Amino acid sequence: MADRARTTGGILAWQGVIALSIPAVWEATWRLTGSTWISAPSLVAVRLAAWASDGLAEHIATTAEEIATGLAIGCACGVLCGLVLGRMPILAGILRPIIVALYSVPLISLAPLFIMLFGLGQLPQIVLVGIVVFFLIFFNTFAGAEAVDEDLIRTLRLMGATRSEVFRKVIAPASIVWITGGLKVALPYALVAATTGEMLGSRGGIGFLLNGAAQQFDMTSLYAAMVILMLLGILTSASAARLESWLLRWRHAAG
Amino acid sequence: MPPDKIQLIGASRDFEARGRRVQALQPIDLSIQPAEFVALVGPSGCGKSTILNMVAGLLGPTSGTVAYDGLPVTGLNQRVGYMTQKDTLLPWRDVEANIRIALELQCRPTSRADAAAKVREMIELVGLKGFEHHYPGELSGGMRKRAALARTLIYEPETLLMDEPFAALDAQLRLVMLDQLQFLTRSRQMTVLFVTHDLGEAITLADRVVVMSARPGRIRAIRKVPIERPLDVFTARFSSVFAKLHEELWDELKDEVTKGTDL
Repeated sequence: MADRARTTGGILAWQGVIALSIPAVWEATWRLTGSTWISAPSLVAVRLAAWASDGLAEHIATTAEEIATGLAIGCACGVLCGLVLGRMPILAGILRPIIVALYSVPLISLAPLFIMLFGLGQLPQIVLVGIVVFFLIFFNTFAGAEAVDEDLIRTLRLMGATRSEVFRKVIAPASIVWITGGLKVALPYALVAATTGEMLGSRGGIGFLLNGAAQQFDMTSLYAAMVILMLLGILTSASAARLESWLLRWRHAAG
Repeated sequence: MPPDKIQLIGASRDFEARGRRVQALQPIDLSIQPAEFVALVGPSGCGKSTILNMVAGLLGPTSGTVAYDGLPVTGLNQRVGYMTQKDTLLPWRDVEANIRIALELQCRPTSRADAAAKVREMIELVGLKGFEHHYPGELSGGMRKRAALARTLIYEPETLLMDEPFAALDAQLRLVMLDQLQFLTRSRQMTVLFVTHDLGEAITLADRVVVMSARPGRIRAIRKVPIERPLDVFTARFSSVFAKLHEELWDELKDEVTKGTDL
């Protein structure tokens, strides 16, 4: 136990050293070269502080809302379609080529279409996030529903369970392992989708900030926007990990 | 004479394995009365589990008929409780929730309080007290078997199909479980078809013992157990009647067991 604590402490210490040394090197490079292309952590911090009193919170909220709404819709549809098609092999066989064809369209090529269809608000981003999340969750849920242990299903059927009870008590919970796997993959993509949409045409959000900065060759703002995106990414991944460990607590028990 | 609860009439079963047809079970005839306890013994692969699967409706016979209450079994037979060799506990439910599951179904409306009380009673019965909130992955093989047994017994199916339910238990616990099973099935007038490797277990529990031959399985002998019920499972095996029957059945079984190992 003591050994383990020491190791964990050591790891944390090293991580701290690295976390501090990267901005230190960055700052030093800027001070030595004076290049505006490099900018510096101190400048980024000042810019973030300036933004904070000038609508940064709204931009973050815009992006977060797009991600949250798109995730909710994409997840719900993906889980539902995945569970249903996973248990209906014939229907799945019929729809397979259509699904694969739709999934093959690169995400970024959809953005202009959605902007034209849905305007410059949050809707194009929500739809983009929703579609990306839908496919990733769908494919995972589908695989999970297909792989459910038939013996478990039979056991419940023999007990007199109806089809819908088998669905709720066996197929859905058995697929949760796969669904959370899909969710973990989908989260970074959701962030990508929201930012991409915002960069291509919108009136708010971190992607909007980023695009504005790039158009004015404002490196400090560009880095500042990236720092926020990084923090958003870390936050979403961390919350997904917590959700997963709660949903799959029976698995940790087995380990 | 009451009508047969379970009836196999010339029922056989083939399996396809690597393009070859293998007969697992030769056509057999077997009738089981309501509230009768029948034990099937025989070497591995003699089709004992196949018989249970056919009665449960998981497998259809290749030829012949399997009837339940006088009607051919066509789909899943939901009148039976089936405890398979593999315990099919749901890994995401703890022991308590696994045992409770049959009482959560629409076909068995049970109030929360009643269900909880019954679950407690069953957990006590199978000796899993203190493990209510453990997940199957945290239990030993024997404990999982006991949880599966409790889950099957809790809803008191009129017929029990059991496939070596006590194989993974230690000797003492097995006797306790035999005693409980005898009590439950006799007091509730359950019909039981019980597959086991253990002759002693078969004689202790069953009204009739069916000895099966090595693959392809067929019925080699059927013996009535001439012992008064209920019997004391802890001492029954020391009686002379028990010993004599055990010897007789072992005579039938031993050729088949050696044949089984040749395969």
